[in-house]
Amino acid sequence: MPEAALNSLNKPSAMSSNLFTVALRLLWRDWNGGELRLLFIALVMAVTSVTGIALFTDRLEKALLLESANMLAADRIVSGRGELPEEILVEGQTRGLRTAQTLSFTSMAFSDSSNMLVAAKAVSDAYPLRGEVIITEAAFTRGRPILSGPPPGEVWLEARALPALEIEVGDTVFVGEAELLVSEIIITEPDRTGGSMMDNAGPRLMLNMADVPATNVVQLGSRVSYRYLFASDELSELDDFEQWFRAQEEWRGRFYIRDVRDESQEVADALDRAESFLLLGSLFAVILAGVAIALTAKRYSERHYDYVAILKTLGCTSSQITFIYLTVQLVLAFFAVVAGWVLGWLVQLGILRLLESIMLVELPEPGLQPYVIGALTAVICLLAFALPPLLALRETPPLRVLRKDMSQQKISDKVPYAFGILGTISLVYWYSQDLVLTSVLVSSVAGIALFLSIVSYLFLRSGGSAGMKAGNAWKLAMTAARRRRSQNVLQVMVFSVTIMSLLILTLLRTDLIDEWQAQLPEDTPNHFMMNITRNQIGEIENFFANNGIQGNAFYPLISARVTRVNGDEPNPEGNLGDDEQNTLTENANLDDVELSEAAQAAAGEPDTGAAGEGEEGRRVRGGLSRRQVTWADKVPPDNGITAGEWWGEKPQAGYVSIEQDYAEWLDLELGDRLEFEINQQTVYAEVSNFRSVRWDNMQPNFFIIFSPGTIDHLGGTYLSTALMEQEQKMLLNDLIRLVPTMVVIEIDALIEQIQTIIAQVTSAIELISVLVLVCGALVLLSCVNASLDERFHENAILRTLGAGQKLIMTSLLIEFATIGFIAGLIATIGAEASLYYLQQEVFQQDFSFHYWVWPLGPLLGMLIIAGLGILSTRGVVQISPLNVLRRLT
Amino acid sequence: MIETRNLVKSVDTSEGLLTILKGITLKVNEGEIVAIVGASGSGKSTLLGLMAGLDGATSGDVLLDDNNLTEMDEEQRAMLRGQLVGFVFQSFQLLPSLTALENVMLPIELKGDDQARDKAKQLLQRVGLEERWHHYPNQLSGGEQQRVAIARAFATQAQILFADEPTGNLDTATGKKVIELLFELNREFSTTLVLVTHDERLAQRCNRVIKLVAGEIAEDTTNTVEESVSA
Ligand SMILES: Nc1ncnc2c1ncn2[C@@H]1O[C@H](COP(=O)(O)OP(=O)(O)OP(=O)(O)O)[C@@H](O)[C@H]1O
Ligand SMILES: [Mg+2]
Repeated sequence: MPEAALNSLNKPSAMSSNLFTVALRLLWRDWNGGELRLLFIALVMAVTSVTGIALFTDRLEKALLLESANMLAADRIVSGRGELPEEILVEGQTRGLRTAQTLSFTSMAFSDSSNMLVAAKAVSDAYPLRGEVIITEAAFTRGRPILSGPPPGEVWLEARALPALEIEVGDTVFVGEAELLVSEIIITEPDRTGGSMMDNAGPRLMLNMADVPATNVVQLGSRVSYRYLFASDELSELDDFEQWFRAQEEWRGRFYIRDVRDESQEVADALDRAESFLLLGSLFAVILAGVAIALTAKRYSERHYDYVAILKTLGCTSSQITFIYLTVQLVLAFFAVVAGWVLGWLVQLGILRLLESIMLVELPEPGLQPYVIGALTAVICLLAFALPPLLALRETPPLRVLRKDMSQQKISDKVPYAFGILGTISLVYWYSQDLVLTSVLVSSVAGIALFLSIVSYLFLRSGGSAGMKAGNAWKLAMTAARRRRSQNVLQVMVFSVTIMSLLILTLLRTDLIDEWQAQLPEDTPNHFMMNITRNQIGEIENFFANNGIQGNAFYPLISARVTRVNGDEPNPEGNLGDDEQNTLTENANLDDVELSEAAQAAAGEPDTGAAGEGEEGRRVRGGLSRRQVTWADKVPPDNGITAGEWWGEKPQAGYVSIEQDYAEWLDLELGDRLEFEINQQTVYAEVSNFRSVRWDNMQPNFFIIFSPGTIDHLGGTYLSTALMEQEQKMLLNDLIRLVPTMVVIEIDALIEQIQTIIAQVTSAIELISVLVLVCGALVLLSCVNASLDERFHENAILRTLGAGQKLIMTSLLIEFATIGFIAGLIATIGAEASLYYLQQEVFQQDFSFHYWVWPLGPLLGMLIIAGLGILSTRGVVQISPLNVLRRLT
Repeated sequence: MIETRNLVKSVDTSEGLLTILKGITLKVNEGEIVAIVGASGSGKSTLLGLMAGLDGATSGDVLLDDNNLTEMDEEQRAMLRGQLVGFVFQSFQLLPSLTALENVMLPIELKGDDQARDKAKQLLQRVGLEERWHHYPNQLSGGEQQRVAIARAFATQAQILFADEPTGNLDTATGKKVIELLFELNREFSTTLVLVTHDERLAQRCNRVIKLVAGEIAEDTTNTVEESVSA
């Protein structure tokens, strides 16, 4: 007992004025006694993880947006076919946005002795609005950043164009009719990956907008891509502007506004999923920290029943006791919040340090909100979990001084849990603002609780008291588990929720990262070659073989349109999402299509989200638009047959394979007879199979594939891909010289950028997992600790009666291992069930059973719980029984 | 039966090393009833704990029935306790989650005896609690709990019984009844009994009274009034 605290209570006069001091002394005593430490650590952990994660997500989100804004060199761009209306630019300027213009076209560049096709890009003086251009004076040296394009009269050329044109820096080139000075070598520009197809069909030549009229190459009807760039530090200004733009009916379908998320579906997906994951991670952190608080608070208050009873015999009223304990809690919460803030800030800083090498942008300062969230978490956790048992303290009858069985029975045992559950649910919902996520979490936890109640009911049904069965360790353990049934059910529940959280996060993490890696593996081809004739294939293959470049299959490419299904007009149902979407293959004719889109399309990705709006205008009403189709004798890689059969070894003409979503959209069935229009000819084919396609692998993908012999005679060109490393880029010159009609699309920069962002997001996810893991460990520890007193007492008595260390330790081990095993099993079931929902509803992933988890989950539970249990109870046999009894009496 | 040689016990406290027992040498013969008396804090409980092997001495030896406790590890001491020793504590020390009967069964089970239930029932009957066997400790009064504790102490037919202020938590009348019971059973099972007490009258009824002062034996008197025990 705290002598000091009691002494001050002895004097009634001092009592009211010194109540606060009493509370502080109590706090100090408990702190020194170590009882408060776990509660404090749990609180700090809750605040730390929530604040840290919130801070990090806050900054990461801002940073990723910023960095990806660099992909556009702006916050918003407006692009379209043909010249853009001037008023768009004016409107942006009057709204206070910064603006710039670019103009892209392919053109021949001439030197005295040579010429080559270049991707020219004219930029206005304000370019770039975001990011920087990197230039250098000598080829292949380290570049320097610059925040503008070339001044009038000068051009910047990509390194590999210099040898091809047989010139050096300081020489001049002709672009159309204008003679311009080559003043720098351009290494990259921020929106290199975001330009149009023309931007990527040759080495870059950048010139000033003012020189464009002099070149005389840009005439009405020439293939030119116009862009307006807009940027502002006020998000609302940008949003308003975008809204204004979208309200202009007459532009719909001709001009498009886009932001970063539209730019790359891969990046947008990665960001979205990472955000969901971070959110989920912090939710688990909150729940786990809350559970830890609940457990430690419960133990804390149980240990204080006696103390309260004594205070009462000394004349302390119930409200005074409430005051004392509330003060203790608030002071505790205060320090926990402050410590949590500092730690959370450090955690976030640590995460950033780790990411420094790949995070290129300066991170914006976080807002205040993360701190508020952290503090609120602590307070809500305390209120929900800690207060109810403390209120119960209030009801402790003074008679407890004499008889221990006079406990706090007035407040039902269930009240704290009801409080805790309600508190958690509201915290989760408030934090996520996401009903799906909340209900998945709540129902998985509720499912576990229900399942456990049934299991424990069955397991412990024998009823009555089980005695000790101290004859051997196994029986001793089983009866111990049975005797502490309600406590054990609670423990199993906590353990399984904890293990489940960890399993869910780990599995999700693994699945996400696996998927990303499968999507863009290291050796993803980063160059697309199009417009190849059949005769040129051999030449190109030879070239690759001689230069050690990894080439891939050549796909014939021809434009086709479905005209009839079983003799009727095709009747598409609803929205394919991409429905008439352009794929790279569709755009093999170098139409004015944004590259990112084209690359997706190269990926052929059916666009379900961001770019959708832009596509609307291109939809051909009243009929299906043309698609680029191919024929093949083998199933393309990453494709899978979902129904029917692929044509076998000896393919017959007259069959067609349809992508499954496309088939569903057209309501096709196997065996349907389709009529196509190809090069003004009518072709019939029977649907022999449906195919699944991996749209996000940045590879050529097709909705429609014919069997060989069906359309071969109708002509067409070929498409292929190749992986060219940075140091092989120079070879492009030779290749293009070899096959001048070929068009090469360079998506290496795009792929690299996506890979970088995904790598960042991956490390962020790993870090969050670790943080949650720590929370989980804390919960497990406090849960084991919660039952420690009773175990100590029981085992001390057992030892006075002659039970050996081995017997006690073995029985503890068995008891913990059994609890761990059951918890692990339930956690595995719960994790798989939750994952099923999460992956389907939140992460848009395909769910598949993780078979390896089924044996691993229970095993892990067994090992962890047994390990932790033994670790914290080994004192049971190491302290002499005399000391234990002395301490407890 | 019990022998201590120059027994020293010190503990580390925040104020430095505290020597509780400063070299206790004594010998208790088989069948003897020994009372340990002394002021509060003089080291009575500590000595009892050491003799029973509940704690390790800092130096010196304890021999229980010729087994040197200091040379044994905790595992062996536990075995010895199970076979040789019984306890009665001031605060009863029943397991709250077990019924009266199960508390008594516990040490019998620990010995691996499958007659535990019957034997425990007989003992409960012997202490007059056969009607209350299914009650939990917090449903019993202090005196009743102590009777259960006594039943438990005799359950393994231990040869030596240690009791630390067995009546300290009980009123005089109840205490007296408990003591009578203790002595009665002691005679029945012819155990050696070492008890710590503040009660002068109880001490006088023992064969021998050892008085501790500040961790040392100040007096060791043998009572001649032999029949007081049996009376
Ligand atoms: N583990 C320990 N740590 C610190 N001091 C201890 C420890 N064990 C015993 N003591 C001290 O040793 C002294 C003797 O303790 P002990 O319990 O043996 O006294 P006692 O004679 O049984 O007293 P009482 O009649 O009040 O029960 C006391 O002053 C006690 O505070
Ligand atoms: Mg004592």
